[in-house]
Amino acid sequence: MAGALTDPTRAPVAFGRRAVPQLFGELLRAGAAARLRALTSLCDLVHEPERLHQAVTGGYLKQLKVLFRDEDPSVRAKICELLHLLTSHSIGRQAVLASSLLPPLCQLLDDSSFSCRRNVHQVLSHLALLPAGAEALLSLVPKLMLKLTKEEDEEVQLLLLSTLTHCSRLDALPGLASDGVSLLGRKLSHRSSIIRRDAAAAMMALSVPMDGKRQVCEDAEVLPVLVGLLQDKDVEVQANAAGVIMNTVIITTGKQRCLDLDVLPVLLGLLSEKHGDDDEEEMKKRRKALIMYVLRALTSLAEAPNGRRLLLEQLPLLEKKAEAAEVDQDIRRATQTAIQVITWTP
Amino acid sequence: KMAFASHSHRDPSGTYTFSSRPRAVENRSKHSETTKRHYGNIMYDRRVVRGNTYAKHILPTTAQPDPAEIRRQQANRRRAIARKQAREQFRPNTPEALEGRKHTDVQTELYLEELSNIIATTDIECQTDPFLDRPATPLFIPAKSGKDVETQIEEGELFDFDIEVQPVLEVLVGKTIEQSLLEVMEEEELACLKAQQRAFEELRNNELAEVQRLQEMERRHNEEKERRIAQQREVLRKEKEIAEKIAARAYTQQYLAGLLPAVFTSLRRHGYFYNPVEKDIETNFFPWLMDEVNNRVERRYTAREILDTMIYDVTQKRLERFNEEETQPEKSDS
Repeated sequence: MAGALTDPTRAPVAFGRRAVPQLFGELLRAGAAARLRALTSLCDLVHEPERLHQAVTGGYLKQLKVLFRDEDPSVRAKICELLHLLTSHSIGRQAVLASSLLPPLCQLLDDSSFSCRRNVHQVLSHLALLPAGAEALLSLVPKLMLKLTKEEDEEVQLLLLSTLTHCSRLDALPGLASDGVSLLGRKLSHRSSIIRRDAAAAMMALSVPMDGKRQVCEDAEVLPVLVGLLQDKDVEVQANAAGVIMNTVIITTGKQRCLDLDVLPVLLGLLSEKHGDDDEEEMKKRRKALIMYVLRALTSLAEAPNGRRLLLEQLPLLEKKAEAAEVDQDIRRATQTAIQVITWTP
Repeated sequence: KMAFASHSHRDPSGTYTFSSRPRAVENRSKHSETTKRHYGNIMYDRRVVRGNTYAKHILPTTAQPDPAEIRRQQANRRRAIARKQAREQFRPNTPEALEGRKHTDVQTELYLEELSNIIATTDIECQTDPFLDRPATPLFIPAKSGKDVETQIEEGELFDFDIEVQPVLEVLVGKTIEQSLLEVMEEEELACLKAQQRAFEELRNNELAEVQRLQEMERRHNEEKERRIAQQREVLRKEKEIAEKIAARAYTQQYLAGLLPAVFTSLRRHGYFYNPVEKDIETNFFPWLMDEVNNRVERRYTAREILDTMIYDVTQKRLERFNEEETQPEKSDS
């Protein structure tokens, strides 16, 4: 009974198995300050997988619903942080989905406190990793799009973009319906490369259905920006932009517009670029994605007569690339497909 | 029951305390025969000054002893009396005086004393000299016995921080490193998973694009085929139409070739080309002529009719007359 707590911001933690249940009990019983302390201790505990499992399977999540409407914003922020830690594991995600915590969570999206909102976005982006979670979040997509336009902070924008990407991978229609293409087009010219990368990834997910491709073609500003992004410094941004273009040129309008924008030389240039640090595994992996996307885009472009004409001239380059010993199976296959399409005659 | 006069217990803070109620000193007085009880109650002890020492002696408020104490004292008194009585019962006393005699107390000592209850007292005052400070008692140093042995704990002998801290430090560092290794491994695993996921995503995107492209190609080819077939069909239809048109044209030409003379002939036949004088004669003159002819002929006919009827009448009358004549002659004949 030495007395004073060693850390005044954390509630004392019981030993062993009692830790989590006792803290949860304190959450429900105690007053405001004690609640904050208990929440902080819980957040610390939950880093450990066993405690997380205990917290998740103990059925305490339903009781957290009450705490969402607490007056103290730091309590709300802490709750969301706790949920964020819980959803970093798959069982946590499933449990959160199963206990129908989503609707109160979505109300907190409009909360006045910034950290609360940010934590909610973190939770949502984790939830979107699970397919069932992405499905549940589909109904939120229009609201999230709105937030994307209004939100200034980069971190939150990143989280929103990743959530939207995952949801759109599952089903892109809600995103398209809420005018996602033009929104993301604006974000493509952001100054931060991470945001550009994520915006391009989201756009790639959106341009998978036919409607999306049409919208990307119709929107007059998006394609030139994308072509510009192909020259970006960051490999990932280039890769994602190439992915969007790859998706867009599948339809005829896309082909026409891209050829008008003179995208072929750029793509070919990307293909034959050689970096000095290509030997690094990671760079190779990233460039692999870029090269694959570029090859597919070229394949699609080769189906248009103008494109085929231009590419016939470049055929030797592609053949050389196909025979290169260092590339792996996928790239080789893609190159061969490209060559096939280019040399096809009706 | 009276509470214990002395308490000693452990205070909550762990220290040892001892307390006891103040007890008066036992009253030993050789001279007094009125045996007070063995305990002196300072409340009733005349030696104790009670109350203000500078003012009149006022009866203190708490003069009454505890009723329990009173009872106890009474009981003690009773017990003492009882004891004494019991003792006196068993003590052999001097036997009673015989008749005519009386026992008296006699002093048998060498020097006679005057016995009286009145005790010759003198008041003597005494005043202590002002005390000098008591000098400190000299240290009691017992005589040395036994061997002198010394020991001294130098600094660092009992507890060497560097040695002691080692196991603790090892444990701390070990656990920290272990934990951090675990976390790093976890992070690596997660990164690996993420990389795998990313590679999968890219492949998926690629294949998706490929699938879509092929789909598009199929669709376009199909559409192209459809269009070509439709075009061909159009061409065929057009050709057929043209052939029909040509046939129709030839037929109509043929038909129309003989049409014109036929038209004229038929018109002529129907009398559309007429000579106006002829026509006029025909339309105007001939009907009138015919009408006149008809009239004349009618008149003749009527005349003939009348003639016919006249003739008929006449013949009828003659026939009648002849018939009459016949019958009459017959009558006359007969």
